[in-house]
Amino acid sequence: MTTNNDIQFKAVLQKLTLPQQRQVAARFVENAMSLSGDPRVKAAVSFARRADISDAELIVVQNAAKSAAVETYTHCGDEGDWLGQAGHFLAEAALACVAPPEKASSLAWDVAMRVRVARTCETIAKGHGTEHSEAEVQYRLLDEFQRQ
Amino acid sequence: MSASLQRGINVLKEVIDAPVASFFNSCVHCGLCAEACLFYLETGDPKYTPIHKLEPLRRVYEQEYTLIGKLMRGLGLAKPVSDAELEEWQPLVYDSCTMCGRCSLVCPVGNDIVYMVRKLREGMSVSGHAPEGIRGAVKRTVEIGSPMGVKWPAVQAVIKHQQAETGFEIPIDQAGVEYLVLLSSMEIMNYPEYLGALAKIFKKAGLTWTLSSTAFEATNAGIQIGTSDIARVIVKRIVDSAEQLGVKKVISPECGHAYMAIRWEGPNLIGRPYKFEVIHVLELLDELRKKGVLKMKDSFDEPLIVHDPCQIVRRGGVLDAPEPLINTVATHYIPIVDKQKMNWCCGGGGGTSAIHTEEAEALRVKAFRIKKRQIEEAGVSTVVTFCANCRIVIEEGFDHYEMNTQLLGLTELLAEHLEDEPEGVAS
Repeated sequence: MTTNNDIQFKAVLQKLTLPQQRQVAARFVENAMSLSGDPRVKAAVSFARRADISDAELIVVQNAAKSAAVETYTHCGDEGDWLGQAGHFLAEAALACVAPPEKASSLAWDVAMRVRVARTCETIAKGHGTEHSEAEVQYRLLDEFQRQ
Repeated sequence: MSASLQRGINVLKEVIDAPVASFFNSCVHCGLCAEACLFYLETGDPKYTPIHKLEPLRRVYEQEYTLIGKLMRGLGLAKPVSDAELEEWQPLVYDSCTMCGRCSLVCPVGNDIVYMVRKLREGMSVSGHAPEGIRGAVKRTVEIGSPMGVKWPAVQAVIKHQQAETGFEIPIDQAGVEYLVLLSSMEIMNYPEYLGALAKIFKKAGLTWTLSSTAFEATNAGIQIGTSDIARVIVKRIVDSAEQLGVKKVISPECGHAYMAIRWEGPNLIGRPYKFEVIHVLELLDELRKKGVLKMKDSFDEPLIVHDPCQIVRRGGVLDAPEPLINTVATHYIPIVDKQKMNWCCGGGGGTSAIHTEEAEALRVKAFRIKKRQIEEAGVSTVVTFCANCRIVIEEGFDHYEMNTQLLGLTELLAEHLEDEPEGVAS
């Protein structure tokens, strides 16, 4: 079956095990990696792809990704840089990829939504209105993941 | 004397009114305001004593409006306020004052020190001594309508995403509805989920509401910098839109000084009462709670404390809503000693978080230690608050001190645990 809407998408994601959710979520973030050059974001995603990630490793990459997300907030009164903000939401997506099990009930969906916010920020920055096709790309990534 | 300094001094002369005169005359030099200031407490430096921060204003008052001061000035014995002095005072009036109002609250003679800081900021601003970060925010507010330069197309993009993510409609420019919802740029850029949370709650409660394409921004940089003319323009924009749409109530967002500006200072700024009511979003949520509309499907069970934003709680008077709302969703809320109107500021209000000099940032981090102690003493790893600026400042504090603590926004927390709509209704 091919995923072509969010209701299907969410339902399929929810049926995945936690390691599977992390792995497919990592693919969602990787697809938008051009929005962030932060090595901490890349590290979180590459750890999330691993099925054998240990609790200790998870904590280390969580802390690093959290710092990347906090450092990229736009402060009250600062001039908004939407491309920078795209990087912020990608860092948040990477952080969600390595969320601890007790906060990962809808991990892959949460990551997918943050990546889409990052794309929205990119479209704002480029003055391209509100359109982007990240949802469709995520449906395809999920379908490919399931076929593996 | 430079022309800008002259203009600044003239403004200071103009803003000195009866309350300012009586406050300066009433001060008994007890030092209680120092003990109430997080910047003084965390540094131990007497220059951060709140009443001391007002020294340039006090001198102008004395030299212009007291007999002895005038005599001293006539004899050349009084030291006039100079550009160099105002430059020196900038960190005291901006970097180390969040206008949190704790000093005003504890003053035994009732001096409203924040009121005077605002007056001094007016003169500082006109004389060119407001920090660059705040000046830029004001310029963008006047030219674009948002201190962070957020334009309507960006808001539309965020609305579209939130509608898709949550499945709830976000109405725009709907005349005749009950509520006009305001946002802060901080929420639009950093916490767009706040808008989705509101949409869910409004839907659940069956309320009619709208955003305005011409007045979505509640933040008032004119208040922060201390320029009443600009503050008036920003308030007027909201008033015009609310009256055109014919709404009954305007909802101020989870933004501290935005609430102070639109709720308490707005009518004075525009010189007339509003034709609508302004309430803070938490006041609305508490009304819904009392009506039994906020039914939770489950609860948040980790121990937590609440950070009460100064401008909303201590200064704004939203004292009663937060705790019952927290208790609606949380099973382990721990009240701390210095809470509600005595709560300690996050350290980044009043425009200070827009100041990015090395000194200002170092001072902010130092001042955060008081919040860190509150959290550690309560032994919790969750803090809930309801101001977008506080959220970022606190998260930066957590990161700086490597605290394993999470920060949650109250509106989103309530929406997350709110009973779901019947299947199919939301979308």
